[in-house]
Amino acid sequence: MKKILNLFFASFIIVFILSGCQDRTDLTGPTPSNGKVDFTRLVSLGNSLTAGYQSSALYADAQLYAYDAQIAKEVNANYATPTISYPGIGGLMYIKSIDLSKGTIVIGVNPSTGTPTNTGYKAPYNNLGVPGAILNDILNTTSSTTNPFFNIVLRGLGTEYSQAKALQPTFLTLWIGNNDILGYATSGGTSPYTPSAVFTSLFNTLGDSVASLGCKVAVANIPDVTSIPFFTTVGPVMAMEVPWALFKSMGVPGLIYEKHGETIGTGVADSLALLTGQVLITLPGSNYASLIGQSTGKFYRDNHYPALPVGIDTTKPFGLHPQNPWPDALILDQDEVNTAKTTTTDFNNTIASVVNKYSDRFVLVDINKFFKTVRAADFAGGTVIDGIRFFTTYITGGLFSLDGIHPTGQGQAVVANQFLAAINAKFGSNFPMIDVAAVPGSLILAKRAYEQSQKLPYFEPGTFDHILY
Amino acid sequence: MIYFWNNYIKLTSLTLGGHVKVKIFTFVLFLLLAYSQIFAGGFQLNEHNARAVAMGGAFTAISNDPSAIYYNGAGLTQMNGINITLGSTLIAPVFSFRGVTPAVTEYDATKQSFFPTHFFATYRYNEDWAFGLGFTSPFGLGSEWDPNWIGKYLAIETSLQVFTISPVVAYKINDQLSISAGLVYSFANVKISQKSPLALAPGSPAPFNQNAYTSLDGKDNSAWGYNLGIMYKPNEDLSFGASFHSIVKYTFKGTATTTGPSQFAALLPNGDVSANLTTPFNLAVGAAYRVIPKLLISADFQYVGWSSYDTLTINFATPKKTVSSPRMYQNSYIIRLGAEYNLMKELDVRAGIYFDKSPVKDEYISPSLPEANRLGFSVGAGYKISNNLRIDASYLFIRNNQVTVTNSREDYTDGAVVPEGAPANSFDGTYNSYANLVSLDITYGF
Repeated sequence: MKKILNLFFASFIIVFILSGCQDRTDLTGPTPSNGKVDFTRLVSLGNSLTAGYQSSALYADAQLYAYDAQIAKEVNANYATPTISYPGIGGLMYIKSIDLSKGTIVIGVNPSTGTPTNTGYKAPYNNLGVPGAILNDILNTTSSTTNPFFNIVLRGLGTEYSQAKALQPTFLTLWIGNNDILGYATSGGTSPYTPSAVFTSLFNTLGDSVASLGCKVAVANIPDVTSIPFFTTVGPVMAMEVPWALFKSMGVPGLIYEKHGETIGTGVADSLALLTGQVLITLPGSNYASLIGQSTGKFYRDNHYPALPVGIDTTKPFGLHPQNPWPDALILDQDEVNTAKTTTTDFNNTIASVVNKYSDRFVLVDINKFFKTVRAADFAGGTVIDGIRFFTTYITGGLFSLDGIHPTGQGQAVVANQFLAAINAKFGSNFPMIDVAAVPGSLILAKRAYEQSQKLPYFEPGTFDHILY
Repeated sequence: MIYFWNNYIKLTSLTLGGHVKVKIFTFVLFLLLAYSQIFAGGFQLNEHNARAVAMGGAFTAISNDPSAIYYNGAGLTQMNGINITLGSTLIAPVFSFRGVTPAVTEYDATKQSFFPTHFFATYRYNEDWAFGLGFTSPFGLGSEWDPNWIGKYLAIETSLQVFTISPVVAYKINDQLSISAGLVYSFANVKISQKSPLALAPGSPAPFNQNAYTSLDGKDNSAWGYNLGIMYKPNEDLSFGASFHSIVKYTFKGTATTTGPSQFAALLPNGDVSANLTTPFNLAVGAAYRVIPKLLISADFQYVGWSSYDTLTINFATPKKTVSSPRMYQNSYIIRLGAEYNLMKELDVRAGIYFDKSPVKDEYISPSLPEANRLGFSVGAGYKISNNLRIDASYLFIRNNQVTVTNSREDYTDGAVVPEGAPANSFDGTYNSYANLVSLDITYGF
């Protein structure tokens, strides 16, 4: 009897003790193999995309989700960022109202400004992306009197490149050149772009400099700027909502717009051209789309023209008459679209050749190709990533923030995964992808809402005044 | 996926981006989930007496103290005079979740303590008849997670309290056989809170930086059930017992309160809700044997009729809407073993062990209270202070089997549950939980 009892209590105690343990063996995720990659000192060179700029502002909540910041978190690397307190610098856009019955969205801009919060960091920041930087700035610009971000990010300690060098990076990412064509495109073709030959020369110099650092480098190329919501949102709606057939019967062939350099508009874009993106209407044009056919000078008032340009007659139907044409600043016509596309292709050829030149340590992150695929999938049910159905569309698509240009936090995660995938493929590592679904939404809903009836997103005056890329 | 509120509302006039009709939807499906889990095995409390707990709950065939009112009313005929027991159990459960697969980030639920209290009074009227009155909390636990944790669309705060008052009458047919019957009056309250993402279309991204937060309070002030018991003692050393606790049908009435960004105000569910729920029957059979004069051993088999709980229905008052959800519960059982040893004249020591089968399939496990097969290990002691005063104490450690869910029906990115297959973002990961329970009882005989 006693034996049985002892056995009973012994087994009781053994089972008790064993059951107190947790089995964690199945829980160690795939062990990341670094391959030939060392992320110990990850440094990022670039512009607003690199900085984590979102919805027209640079602020800490968004900087946290910059692609390299997400990569650094994934691989447990130390990664210093020039954080800026909420609501950041630049003029943070937010959703003021959504009227679900009418289908209207009003976008406002936060009038407040944040302040830099990591100014005492002793070393150069790992994230050296400066919103507004063009290719030339990486090697040559140390400060700026017009763009506050140079001073915030660079702190007078040298150029982006020289500070990267000082950090002795073990891995560097480079994504630059977007602004060399984007500024031209977003201005409706009114601002200059970097000529391809200049870009080639500058990028080769930069490539040589970066290669001299001796570390591995991931270089991203330039996505087709004409496929982002900043350009694709308004035109198709205009094509469908404006009674073009009626206007045609009255002798108006389509949207009458100013070609580059014109005051009296001679450009004509019919509804098919608007629908298919042969011409592109910029996002700020959203506010004026509903005014087509009206006698209005709203564009000139909104943009603080001291006087109407000579020849403009705002009593004429807006957008339908050469003397009150759709303004050049709000449209990329076919020539300008072609310029943007050709230039982007040239830039990307240059980037590819430089990566190729240093193929032992450089890897190309073909964001352009990836983005093209996503854009094409817009018309075939979207792109499912980690269970989320993404589109390139404005607000609804999930990839782009309210400025229609910069990615959301989830969009940044998608970009980060493109970097990781390219790095894994090239350098034999197997870093796990970032779970895009786990990245929180980042479009800001205002606390207070009011009603406004518009068929397109309406942007409060000044919304796009200070945007940088 | 099931959507509430006309499934989603179309934004007819706006065609942002050309091809995607802007749609918006919210759903309160999560309420179904939370409600459904709240009565699951994990919320059932079988710990209503320190002595019974110490013996692994294998008490159906013993039931020779006032807690017989709960464990087996027929045992009331073993007591004389008036006896009362007052006690409480401290329950400190610990839950964690690691995931979502392939991530292994660990999330720990907020540590909470619960003190379900019980009270029993018995009265031996004459040789044949005995009466008893009991107060217990047969269900009553909760869980609370960080409001921003990864499963926030599935569960944040869930709590349930069920109280019963049960008068029991027992009749001694002969020296070997007794039977009993009891009435169960029950009242209960629930609280569930959870977040919902704000997405513009089903399956589309939820790109906004805010969520809706829904809190649901409900109560039922009168639900009724019954219990039956039988005890057979063929000889001095051997006894058999069986008890049956009926289903109890609850009709919870309450309010849903949802807060969220004003832009979405028209879509946020608010107002009166009601839900019908039925707690399962419990059938326990047991045997106890006095091996030697100092040693009593017992074993129980408890069968829990969870399969009655196959569909859950919630009614919303405005707009009038009924939502049903299949729950797929399975009958489950608990096997219990216990022993009591009379160490000294006044001191009994006890130990027990039990296995509690989870009624929920892995794919339906929810963080509101993670279900799992459980092992319970108990020890305890009873000390007789005087001839009519006894103190019992027990310690019970419950270890839930680690459960790794690989096919969760719940989607952690939008809180939805799918009836078939797996959602896009299955809430897969590993649950670990355990609980420490300390019970203390005072029994006084007049």
